[in-house]
Amino acid sequence: MVLAGWLPKSAAIIAVPIVTIILGIIIGWLGQRSGFCSIGGFRDFFLFKHTRLLYGYIALIIGAFVGYLVFWLITPSAFEHFFWLMTSGFTPVPGAPAGLTVVGYTVLAIVGGIAVGIIGVLLGGCPLRQVVMTSEGNIKSLCFVIGMCVGSVVFAMWVSGWGVALLKAAGIA
Amino acid sequence: MIMAETTPKNNESSSCLDTLARNPLYVGIAIGILAAFVQVLLVSAGGPEAYGFCVACHTRDVVNVAVNDVAGTKLAVAAISQNAILPVLTVIGVLIGAFLSAKAYTEFRTKSANAVSYIWYAVGGLLFMIFALFMGGCPYRIGLRVGYGDVVAFIGLIGIIAGVLIGIKVATKLMEREA
Repeated sequence: MVLAGWLPKSAAIIAVPIVTIILGIIIGWLGQRSGFCSIGGFRDFFLFKHTRLLYGYIALIIGAFVGYLVFWLITPSAFEHFFWLMTSGFTPVPGAPAGLTVVGYTVLAIVGGIAVGIIGVLLGGCPLRQVVMTSEGNIKSLCFVIGMCVGSVVFAMWVSGWGVALLKAAGIA
Repeated sequence: MIMAETTPKNNESSSCLDTLARNPLYVGIAIGILAAFVQVLLVSAGGPEAYGFCVACHTRDVVNVAVNDVAGTKLAVAAISQNAILPVLTVIGVLIGAFLSAKAYTEFRTKSANAVSYIWYAVGGLLFMIFALFMGGCPYRIGLRVGYGDVVAFIGLIGIIAGVLIGIKVATKLMEREA
């Protein structure tokens, strides 16, 4: 599968850090101004019936869909599997540990989702909010971000393999 | 009287764009469209798809590429970060952007807490990262994947909502115990 976007590969590999850091600065600025938070959106809705942040997250999903749709119409080769359900059925978009069955990925999505939701509510925000609060001078959020960095190494070195082994042992991978 | 004095001042200093930026609704639309735009621009460098913005995965890419370079390990990294001269720097950008904004609007304030809460937040961040990577993304990439038509991501989103409900129950219990 060869995904082809607007920039040819030789230019894209140089543009990746530049474009993504600009994207990050824009999102960081907007996130700081708006207090954008995905998990906070659900929390505020269930606790206080506040819809401000929740609408933001729903808008993100709709904005992403519209964006993908428009750019897919312009350059289909950059979105080879859009709309994923139509092209690839019930499989997930790659990202989680590779080589599992659909059932395995579904189990991971449910377990991961529940854990992420619980931790996010208890520590007062999703990762974007934590990163933004770090930049606002919150030391607790800085500890969260450092924990995330350690977690990514721990995951890649050990936990990812353990999880896959556990799923395989349980016969659902 | 005080209100009457401060309100026009606020209106003067806050531009029309800032009014949009302070509304999560427009911010959400902007993030979604920007994520799609980044994919159409850069995807030749490598997959996966629906990878325009993700705090967990993009942090993973930066950290693991750095560790791979320094320690010579082969920790898992997304293809786009593996192929490019530097990995996706979105999270570094978010740190810079939010810092600039906090400084510009004088909202930067160092907030410290006790050592126990630091440990809880660090452990929480570690666990959050592990479970987010098992799910294949933080809530943002899950949102992008739902927009891309991924059913497993939608199940993950339902998982997140269930987790939030459980988390609210746990937080309420903890607060009752403290009170």
